[in-house]
Amino acid sequence: MNKNNSKLKILIGTFIVVNLFITSCSEDFLEIEANQITANSITEEQAVELVNGIYNIFLSWQVSSFSWNGITSIASDDADKGSDPGDTGSDKHLLDALNHDATSISVAELWEGHFNGIQRANQAINRIQPFDDLDNELKTRLLGEAKFLRALLYFRLLQTFGELPLITETPDINSPLEELLSRATIDETFLFIEGDLIQAIESLPNKNQYPNIELGRATKGAAKTLLAKVSMYQEKWDNVLALTNEVIQSGEYSLTLNYEDIWKEIGENNEESIFEIQAKGAIPSVGVDKYSLTQGARGEGGWGWGFNVPSTDLLNSYEENDLRRDATIIFRGETLYDGRYVPESVVNEMYNQKAYSSAFTEFERTGKNIRILRYAEVLLMNAEAAIHLGGDVSGPINQLRSRAGLNPLNNPTLLDVWNERRWELAFEHDRYFDLVRQGRAASVLQSLGKPFVTGKHELFPIPQQQIDLSNGILTQNPGW
Amino acid sequence: MMSGRLYVIFFLFFTFSLNSIAQSFYSGTVIDENSVPIFGASIIIKNNSNFVQSDIDGKFVIEAKTNDILLISYSGYKNLEFQLSNNYELNDIILKEDINLLDEVVVVGYGNQRKEILTSSVSLVKGDDLTNEPVLNATQALQGKAAGVQIISSDAPGVASQVIIRGLGTIQAGREPLYVVDGILTNNINNINTADIETITVLKDAASLAIYGNRGANGVIIVNTKKGGEEEIKVSYDNFVGIRDISYRPVMANSNSFVTYSNEAILFNLLNDSNPNNDNDLSAFFPSEQLYNTNWIKEISQLAFQSNHNISAAGGNENLKTFFSAGLNQEQGILKGSELERATLRSNLDYKISEKIKYSHSISFQLANSQPKSFGVFTTAYKQAPIVPVIDENGRYGSSVAFNNVGNPVAQLNLQNEKQRFLKLQGSFKIDYEIINNLNFTSRFSVETNHNRFYNFDNRLASYLSLEPGNTIDNFQPTDPEAEQIPETVLYVAHSNDYRWFFDNYFTYKKTFDDSHNINVTLGLVAEENKYETLYGSRINVPADENLNFNLNLGNNNDGTEGSGGGFSETRKLYSYISRLNYDFDKKYLFNFSFRKDASNFFQEKYRYGNFYALSAGWYLSKESFMQESGFDILKARISYGKLGNAQIPSLNIVRYNQGFSYPFGANQDVQQGGTVTATVQEDLSWESTYEFNFGIEFALLDFKLNGEIDFYERVNSNAILPLQLPNTFGFDPFLSHVGEIKNIGVELSLDWKDKINDDLSYSINTNLSYNKNELSKISNQFFTNQTGGNINNGQYTKRVSIGQPLGSFYLYEIAGIDDRGEFVYKDLNNDGEINENDRRFFGTYIPSLVSSFNIKVIYKNFDVNIATYGSFGNKVYNGKKAQRFGNENIEQFVFNNRWTSGRPSTNTPVASNNVPLSSNYFLESGDYFRINNFTIGYTFERENSKLFKNTRLYFTAKNPLILKKFSGYTPELPGDPMGLAGVELDAYPTLSSFYLGINMSF
Repeated sequence: MNKNNSKLKILIGTFIVVNLFITSCSEDFLEIEANQITANSITEEQAVELVNGIYNIFLSWQVSSFSWNGITSIASDDADKGSDPGDTGSDKHLLDALNHDATSISVAELWEGHFNGIQRANQAINRIQPFDDLDNELKTRLLGEAKFLRALLYFRLLQTFGELPLITETPDINSPLEELLSRATIDETFLFIEGDLIQAIESLPNKNQYPNIELGRATKGAAKTLLAKVSMYQEKWDNVLALTNEVIQSGEYSLTLNYEDIWKEIGENNEESIFEIQAKGAIPSVGVDKYSLTQGARGEGGWGWGFNVPSTDLLNSYEENDLRRDATIIFRGETLYDGRYVPESVVNEMYNQKAYSSAFTEFERTGKNIRILRYAEVLLMNAEAAIHLGGDVSGPINQLRSRAGLNPLNNPTLLDVWNERRWELAFEHDRYFDLVRQGRAASVLQSLGKPFVTGKHELFPIPQQQIDLSNGILTQNPGW
Repeated sequence: MMSGRLYVIFFLFFTFSLNSIAQSFYSGTVIDENSVPIFGASIIIKNNSNFVQSDIDGKFVIEAKTNDILLISYSGYKNLEFQLSNNYELNDIILKEDINLLDEVVVVGYGNQRKEILTSSVSLVKGDDLTNEPVLNATQALQGKAAGVQIISSDAPGVASQVIIRGLGTIQAGREPLYVVDGILTNNINNINTADIETITVLKDAASLAIYGNRGANGVIIVNTKKGGEEEIKVSYDNFVGIRDISYRPVMANSNSFVTYSNEAILFNLLNDSNPNNDNDLSAFFPSEQLYNTNWIKEISQLAFQSNHNISAAGGNENLKTFFSAGLNQEQGILKGSELERATLRSNLDYKISEKIKYSHSISFQLANSQPKSFGVFTTAYKQAPIVPVIDENGRYGSSVAFNNVGNPVAQLNLQNEKQRFLKLQGSFKIDYEIINNLNFTSRFSVETNHNRFYNFDNRLASYLSLEPGNTIDNFQPTDPEAEQIPETVLYVAHSNDYRWFFDNYFTYKKTFDDSHNINVTLGLVAEENKYETLYGSRINVPADENLNFNLNLGNNNDGTEGSGGGFSETRKLYSYISRLNYDFDKKYLFNFSFRKDASNFFQEKYRYGNFYALSAGWYLSKESFMQESGFDILKARISYGKLGNAQIPSLNIVRYNQGFSYPFGANQDVQQGGTVTATVQEDLSWESTYEFNFGIEFALLDFKLNGEIDFYERVNSNAILPLQLPNTFGFDPFLSHVGEIKNIGVELSLDWKDKINDDLSYSINTNLSYNKNELSKISNQFFTNQTGGNINNGQYTKRVSIGQPLGSFYLYEIAGIDDRGEFVYKDLNNDGEINENDRRFFGTYIPSLVSSFNIKVIYKNFDVNIATYGSFGNKVYNGKKAQRFGNENIEQFVFNNRWTSGRPSTNTPVASNNVPLSSNYFLESGDYFRINNFTIGYTFERENSKLFKNTRLYFTAKNPLILKKFSGYTPELPGDPMGLAGVELDAYPTLSSFYLGINMSF
C-alpha cells in the first residue's frame, strides 16, 4: 500500500507539473497566427488600401451619380429632368418641380452613400492613427488624405442637409441613440469640417510632390481650396481671400487654354485641376457608376438615359459668343469634337457635355473624371471675397472671361461674379447650393415657376427612413 | 459431468452436517427459458442462508423447512423467489434472462457508465440495427431510432442528413451536433462505414453534455466502432444491391395545356398592362400545333443502381483482439450522370500489454469520389416548357430563349462537369494504465485529416452554344475588339485540408466505501488544434484533352491559357480541463457533477475562457422498500441542469476586411487596390451559452417487457448571435452580436415492448415521440432588425426572424380570395388601403413540432421482419419552385385544370398570368408526412454442420415504399439553412423509394 501511495503521489505530481506546463504555454498556444487580421493588426499595404477605399466611394452611384445630379442640378435652374416624359428617374421629376419629400430616393441615396464614405474614412483614420510602425511620412500623408476626403463628404452633406450628426468612431451599439445620432449645430458642423481640413493642409504634400503614379490623391492645394470654399459658405471672406491667394501664388495651377478641353480625356488632371474623381474606362473599367450613361443622349442614335439636361434658362443666360455655352451643352443635330453626330432622333434638345465620354461612351462606368475643384473656382472665390473686402475683382474674373472669348469687365459687380460662376461651373454640382448661399434661391427659382418655399427649400429633407431608424432622434429640417 | 455430481454430493454432505435433522430435503432443476439446464445457479434459503449451487444438469438438493423462502439467482438472469410447500420434489425452476436494460453500459464523454446509475438523458442505437438492412448514411439510419432527435434526411448521394437534437437553438452558429468517433471529435460521419458501427449514443441533456463544454449545446453523437472479441476469427460478408427511384413526381402540363395556359397568360398580361396599343399584339402567342411534348422530369432522371460490399473479420484472445473491415459502395444518383463511389477500411485493435496496461487503437480510411449534379436541374425540369425539345431538328440543344429564361435541363446536366474527392483518415491511439486498484490513467492521442478536392471544368463555349440556336463559335467573342476576350473554357480546382489533433489525458477513480457509497471521478486535460487550409487555382482555355484529367497545369500568358490562384488558412486551438464526479448511495440515490473549463483562440483575448457545468441527481424509486409491491421493475426519476456552449461560429474576432474598393491613380490610371472594414467587430463575440433543464423518468413494467423513458426539457440559448443593422448613417453592413434568447421546450417519450411468445415467435415494438416548441424569446438590443430570409431568387423573401415567433417562421401575404379578373386578392391586414410589406403575417415555421416513429420487429422461426415508420407533423413547407414562376414557364396539370377562367371562376387557383407572384400562403403547404422508412424481411439459413457457411441471411428491403403526405412537391424533407432554403422547396432533391436484395454471411 505504501508503495502504491508513493506511486500515486508521483503521478499526481506529474499531472500537476504537466498541467502547469500546459497552462503556462496556453497563452502562446492560443495566439492567433500572423496571417489573420485581428481587430488591431494592420499592415502598410492595408493602410494604403483603407485610404484608397475612401476614394472609391466617389465612384458610387449614390455619392456621385444620379441622385447627386438630381439635387445639385435638376433641382436648380441650370437643368431639367430631361429624358422621356414617362421616365421619371424615380423622383427626378419631383426634384425638377421641387416637389420632392423626405421619402424621395435621391435624398436617401445621397445620405447613405456619403455616410458610408465617412465610415470608410473613420475606419482608415482610426486604424492608421495608432499604427506606430508605419513610415511616418506615409502615415502623415494617408491621414491627411483621409481627413480631406472626410471633410469633402461632410461638406457635401452640409450643403444638402445642414446640421449633421458628427460620427468619428465605430459606434458602441449599447449607447443610447441620442448620443449616437443627435445632430450637431451648424457651427459645430462647420468647425468639424474645418478641423479636418486644417489638419489636411498641414499633412498633405503639394501636387508636384507626388510621384506621377499617385496623381489624383488629395493635395495641400486641394485642402486649401476646399477650406476656402467651406469658409465662403460661412462668409468668412478674410479666410477665403487668404487661402485662394495662397493657392494662386503657389504657382502650381493655371487655367487650361481651351475651356472645352477641360472635360476631354486630355484635360484630365491638367494644370487647372485641383481635385477630381479619377475614372478609368478601359477594361476593367473603374469609373463613376453610370455618371455618363444617365446623362447621355436618349433615343435612337443616343447613348444614354438622357437625364439632367441643360435648361433653356441656362442656355439663354450666356452672353453672346461665350465659348463656354457650346462646351457645356450638346445640341441635338450637332457634331461633337470627336466627330460623333448627335442625330435629330434623340429625345431632348440639349444634353450635358461635361458628362460626355468620348472613348467609352456607352459604358456603365466610363473614363470620365469628375472635376471637383479646379483653378477657375479659386479665381471665382478670390473675386467674390475681393468684392466683400475690397480688392482686385476684375483681375481673376477677366482671366476667365478672356478664356471664354468674352470682353473684359471693368468693375464687376457681385452679380457679375455670380453670373460668371454660373457659366463657368454649370453642371459642376454647386448651382443649387450657390443660389441658396447667395440668398437668392427663392427669387431665382420662383421666377422660373418652381415652388421654392423660403425657410424650407434651403435644405433638403432628412430621409424619412433614417429618421425612423433613429427613433426620431434625427430631427427633420424645418418645413419638411 | 462426474466432477459436477461429486461437487453436489460434497455440498450436500457439507450442508447436511451443519443443519439440524428437523429439516427436509427439497430437490429441483434450474433451467432457462429454452429448457437448457443452468449450471452454477445459487439456491439460498432466505432466513437461514443455507446455500447450494446447481450442477451441470441444473439439478440441486437443499435442506429446508416448509414455508421457507427459496431464492434462486444466476448472473444474467432474473432472481426468482418462492415459498416452499411440503412438496419436496420441486417443479422445474425456470430462470428468465435478465433483459434489464439498466445493466447496459453506456458510453459517455471520456468514459463509460452503467445505465443503472445514469442521471442524464441519452439514447442508444445498436449497430445491429444498422447492419440488418441497407444503410448508407449513419445519420439517416438514426431517423426514428432515438427520441428527441429530428433527422431531415436527404437521398442525394453523399449528402448528410441534417440532425437537430432537441430543437433548433441557434441561427447564426452551427446547428449540427458534435460527433465523437472512437474519441475523435469530428464534424460529420458522412462517409463512415455503417457496418463498422457498434453503438451510436446520443447525448441530449446538460448532465451528459457539459463535459463537452463549448461543443455541447447542439447535442453530441458518440459513435463507437466494433472491436474484436475473445473468440476465433469470424469473417462476415455483407452485400446488397438495389434500385432507387423518385417516389413522387409532380404531374406537369403537357404541350397542349402549356400552350393554352401560356396564351391565356400572355393575353391577360397584354390586356392588363398600361399600354393599350399592346392589346391587339398577337406576336407573342404560341401556335397551338407543337412538334414536341417533352417530359423534362423524365429526361433528367434515371433509375439509380446501387451496390454495397462489406467484409469484416473479428476475433482474438484474452490479450489481443482485432477487428478489420473493408467496404465498397457504389451509388448512382437519380440525376443522370451523378454518382458516388466510396471505399472504407478500418482496423481496430485491443492489446493487453500487461495486467495493468492496455493499448488500443482505431484507424480508419474513408475515400469518396463523386460526380455531383446541380439540384437546380429539378427546378428547371419543373419549369421548362414541354414544347422545347431535348435536342432540336438541327441536333442542337432545344432552347427557350425566345419566350422564357429557363435553361435546357438536359444541357445543364450534360455541361456540368464536376468532380469531388473526399479523403478522411482517422486514427485514435489509447493507453489505459491501472496505476493502483481503482485508479486508472487514460491517455489518448488522435488525429483526423480531411483532404477534399473539387474540380470544375466549365466549358463556356459549349454553354453559350447550348443557350440559343443563333449562338455560334463566330459570335462567341464580343464584337468590340477592345473588349476583353471570353475564355472558352475554365478549369477550376480547389484543395482543402484540415488537420486536427487531440490529446486527451485523464484519470478515473472508482471506489466503493462501506459497500454502499460509490464514487467515480474523472479528471483530466484535453487539448486540440485544428488547422484548415485551402488552395485554389483556375486556368482558362484549357486544351480539351487535359480537362479529362482535370489537370491544372498553370498554362501561360502568351497563348491565353493563364491561370490564377489563391488560398486561405485558419488555425483553431482549444485546451480544456474536464472533470466529472459521480456519487451514489446504494445505487439508489444518484448524483453527478461535471465541469469543463475551455480556453479557445477563436475569440478575442478577454472572451477566451468559458466554464461549463452540470448538476444532476437521480432517485431509484423502485429500489425503495415501499415500492416493492408497485409493479414497477424499474422506476427512476432524474433531474439535471447545466450550462453548455456552442463555439461553432464563424471567425468572428477576425475583422471583416474587404478588398475590391479599388481606385485608379496616376497618369495612366493604374488601378490600386482599396479596402475597408464593412462591419463593426463586437469584441465580446464568443460562444453562445445554453442553459438546459431536464427532468426524466425511466421505467420498466411487466417483467421488463415494457421499458420506457419520458423526458421534459427546457433549453435556453441565453446569448444567441443575431444580426444587427445600424441606421445607414453609420455606414456599416449588418453585423453580428449576442442579443437574442432562443428557447426550446419539449417532451420526449420512448417506449419499448419486447416479448417472446414461444421458441418460434418473438417480437418487439418500439415507439418514439418528440414534441418541441421553439421561440425567439428575447431581444436585448435596439438595433436588431427583423432579419428576412428564404429568398427564392425572384425578389421575394418568405421567412422572417421576429421576437415571439419560432425560428424559421414563414412571413407572407395572406390570400383573401380571387377577384373577378381571376387575380389574387390579398388581405389588407393593417387596413391602410394598400397592400405592402406591412400586410404580411406569420404562418408557422418549417420546423415540425412533433416527430414520431413506430417500429416493429418480428422473428418467426428463421424469418425476421422489420418495419420502421417515421412521421413528422406540425410544420409548413413552401413550394418555392412553383412560387418562383416567371413568365411562360410550365405549370402543374393541377394548376392548369383548376385555373380561373371567365367561364369557370375558381376559388383556389388564379387566372393564367405571367406576373411574378408575391410570396403568399397560396404556396405554403402542410409539411406533415408519415411514411414507412423501412420494410425488411429476411430469412436465415442455419447450417450448423457446414464449416464454411454457418449463418447466411437473405433479405429484401423496401425503403420509403409508402409516403402519406399533403405536400404537392417532390419532398417535404427540405434541409438547409434556417434563413435560407430550409423548408422551401427550391432546387431540392426528391425523396426516393428504394428496393434492395441483400445477403449477410459469416464463416
